[in-house]
Amino acid sequence: MRLPILASLATMLLLAPDLLAQRRGRFNRGGQGDGTPPPAEKPQEQPEGDGKPKKHVAITGGDVYLGTGQRITGATVLIGDDKILAVGHRIELPEGTTVIDAKGKTVCPGFIGVYGAGMGQGRGTPWIDSCNPFDPEIKQGLAAGVTAFLAGAPRGGSTPTGDSAVLKLAFGKVEDMVLQEGSVLGMSAQLSAADRDKFRDLVKQAKEHRRALEEFLVKKAEDPTQKPPKAPAGTEKILDVLAGKSKLWLQLGGGGFNPFGGGRSSNSADLDGIRSALQIATDLGVGVVLVKPVSAWLCTDEIAATDSMVVLSPRDRVPADPADPERTGSNLATAALCNEAGIPVAVTCPVGMFGGAGVGTNGIFGQDLNTPTVDAAFAVRGGMSSSQALRTLTLDAAKILGVDHRIGSLEAGKDADILILDGDPLHYRTFVEVAIVNGRVVYELTNEPLYSRIHR
Amino acid sequence: MPKTNHHRNGRSLLLGSLLAFAFGSHELRAQDARPTAFVNARILTISGAPIERGTLVVRNGKIVAVGADVASPAGARIVDCEGGTLMPGLVSAHSRAGFATPPSPPTAEAGARRGGRRGQGAPPPDTGGRGAQNSAAQKVAERLDPKQEVFAELLRAGITTLALTPTGDAFPGFGAVLAPDGTTLDTLVKDDDAFLFVGMQRDTRVKKTLKDGFEAAKKVVEARKAPKDPPKPEAAGDKPSGDQKPAEAQKQGEPQKPQEPPKPEQPKPEPPKPDQPKPDQPKPDQPKPAEQKPAGDKPAEDKPAAKPEEKKDPNIEVLADLLEGKHKAIVQINSASDLLHWIHACGKDLAFSRTICTESFDQQAGTFDLVLDDLKAMKAAVLVPPDLNVRPRSRYLENPVRALHEAGIEVGFVLGDNPARVRMLFFRAMELIRGGLPRDVALRAMTIVPSKALGLEAQVGTLETGKKANLLLFSGDPLDPTSELRSVWLEGRKIDTDKKAR
Repeated sequence: MRLPILASLATMLLLAPDLLAQRRGRFNRGGQGDGTPPPAEKPQEQPEGDGKPKKHVAITGGDVYLGTGQRITGATVLIGDDKILAVGHRIELPEGTTVIDAKGKTVCPGFIGVYGAGMGQGRGTPWIDSCNPFDPEIKQGLAAGVTAFLAGAPRGGSTPTGDSAVLKLAFGKVEDMVLQEGSVLGMSAQLSAADRDKFRDLVKQAKEHRRALEEFLVKKAEDPTQKPPKAPAGTEKILDVLAGKSKLWLQLGGGGFNPFGGGRSSNSADLDGIRSALQIATDLGVGVVLVKPVSAWLCTDEIAATDSMVVLSPRDRVPADPADPERTGSNLATAALCNEAGIPVAVTCPVGMFGGAGVGTNGIFGQDLNTPTVDAAFAVRGGMSSSQALRTLTLDAAKILGVDHRIGSLEAGKDADILILDGDPLHYRTFVEVAIVNGRVVYELTNEPLYSRIHR
Repeated sequence: MPKTNHHRNGRSLLLGSLLAFAFGSHELRAQDARPTAFVNARILTISGAPIERGTLVVRNGKIVAVGADVASPAGARIVDCEGGTLMPGLVSAHSRAGFATPPSPPTAEAGARRGGRRGQGAPPPDTGGRGAQNSAAQKVAERLDPKQEVFAELLRAGITTLALTPTGDAFPGFGAVLAPDGTTLDTLVKDDDAFLFVGMQRDTRVKKTLKDGFEAAKKVVEARKAPKDPPKPEAAGDKPSGDQKPAEAQKQGEPQKPQEPPKPEQPKPEPPKPDQPKPDQPKPDQPKPAEQKPAGDKPAEDKPAAKPEEKKDPNIEVLADLLEGKHKAIVQINSASDLLHWIHACGKDLAFSRTICTESFDQQAGTFDLVLDDLKAMKAAVLVPPDLNVRPRSRYLENPVRALHEAGIEVGFVLGDNPARVRMLFFRAMELIRGGLPRDVALRAMTIVPSKALGLEAQVGTLETGKKANLLLFSGDPLDPTSELRSVWLEGRKIDTDKKAR
């Protein structure tokens, strides 16, 4: 029965030697072979100044999902200390490299929980001072594939506020726990007329301040005694957003149509709510992040036009108001439609939490529908391609948290946050076998009490 | 509460506690020169191999002879042990027994009441760093209420040496060593600056207080090493204007600069030798420790016209003494996470004479067996609860005590401040031994190791000639579940163990 497959493989072998190593994981039914050429194959290793030899680890022979939507089969991921040095075929391994054989396995970037709680998080800024790198929840999160998450959910307010950080699940290492502080700010999506005027005024002041700063830099080159302009009070966070230091999250959702009485309550996630949120993006002139805009399928082009991004729970169901079905209600296809419009989408579970008791544990402890992968799978069910669906947990999630320069894909120069899975990344039967954070193996299926006794 | 410069009074306070010794509870007892001979006993000396059948002779509260072929002296009072086993009294180096304000965490009590086999109770309360303070020069003995039954109860449970640990994070002050048979402050407090207590929490304020405290202390140590010159003019210019208060300066993270070349060190006497009475000290003007009030958080407030050298922050001076080896410290680090945070805050290289202590295993933040290498690098003995631990997210039992021992770390027990829990100690130890901990390590862990933590290894913790006759007499081997604690002897005096706990 296998013969025809082997024969076709042999044909492919003649055509493209690179495909020799192409093997699917046991449960790989994805079937999307993008066929995109592998990126850079040369280790971009620069001799470091400190002269300390790097600790090299190579994950070889796996089916490597880059997190960008591409996949390279039988490729090698070379890690030097805490960074990825190279991904691809024919990579020369430096002497003394520790090799992890991932033949028949899937290799992909660690998943990013755009919302999280627990998992070693501390009490707030500075997050590093109270984090708990030996929290058992970290192991649970890693078992679900999460290697980083946003702690301290951004809240509302009439101006951007918040105390959040992107934390890593770096078990046992304080220094590695905090990836970036303050990368996400929150703001109320619907402003009163007075608040809106105030906000617009602050944005205007902030923009003027930015111009003044630019002028100052020019002047300073000529006259070093020039003093930098002082930021107007109340604009500091807006300046962070304008400078791209922080992403501004606008929390939508809530309310919705109640079919059992009461009719339609105020719902910021319907078309009008989304439009008023987008007005904030227009005022700022930079893209924002819409959190759970359930009716986004009605206006994907408008969202894309403001350069905004979307956090969704694809399985959220909000019934449309029968009186106004053109402007309300959710759609399973929202994630796919947003993706088609070129909007980065991240997924999260309906209660808004990966983490704490909500950390997915792949069904063993009754949390079977609370894993990141299941939420991505709902996006697939709504019509998104599975390669794009993986992006909702990796690169696009990193973009939405403003940390895509560090994590989210397997590319040279990024942090070595890598999963080795025993099957397709989005398949519900897939287990995380090894999780690596900052180049360090922090989770091994066989060494942890969580799933090691499950025989498959 | 009158505030006094307690740094200046440190010497007299010590003297006071010494006098309290000499003329307090021990004076009358020690008069009895008639020796006592414990015969027909199996003796666990802890310092060496057990003596299967031997005699132990006590005179003036001290062991004068111990061995298999020791004869009872003529006229000695004979205590026939009837084949029972003698071992040294238990040493508790970490306890908040009877420490009324603020209330001690309910963990140990809850654990004992629940009767759970691990007795772990809840993890230590997360104080959120609210207790972060630098009042290192403060003494916990000054806040002690002596009229409490718990000390006597602990004594009847076998604890003959009891430390009193201050509550609070960072540098809450000095811990005391108590004589658990005392009933007044004078007779209860043996040594009110036996060890400096340092409390670690993973918290911004605690970490900053620790870091700033040690950095300021390092500068003081350097200044003390500097040759004694008249003050340099630039140093004088550096000096903060007028009446800046040390506490404030320290709060702002600017460690105080010593204004003058350091004076010769305040002589910190040797750990008081309670057994050496000082009859030539005048009795009447014996200062009572109760009269010495701690300076509290604002030592400089009521002496604005202080001379420059008095502006030294007494807390920082105490920390400098610690770094110079003049004090011992017990550092409470409750979890593996907190240990990593300690290194994150204070650095790997910070070294001083210390014992690390964990009050209860914190499953949510890791037990010490996860950080054996970091712990070994700290080169300190570790006191942990005598408990097995459940591996998080499982029902596997682990033996962190054995893991520490096998990593070459000297391990002792935190006996707890609850008499009921102390009475369970030997059962807990049996569990650990069944889980692979060597027997002699378990016995040392409840005697000589905590004794070293308190700097009392020359006095208590083993049954050797010259040591105090703090004895426990068991009907059989202490680690035999059928064996009973028959009697407790404190410095050669029998404690009435029949007395019912209230």
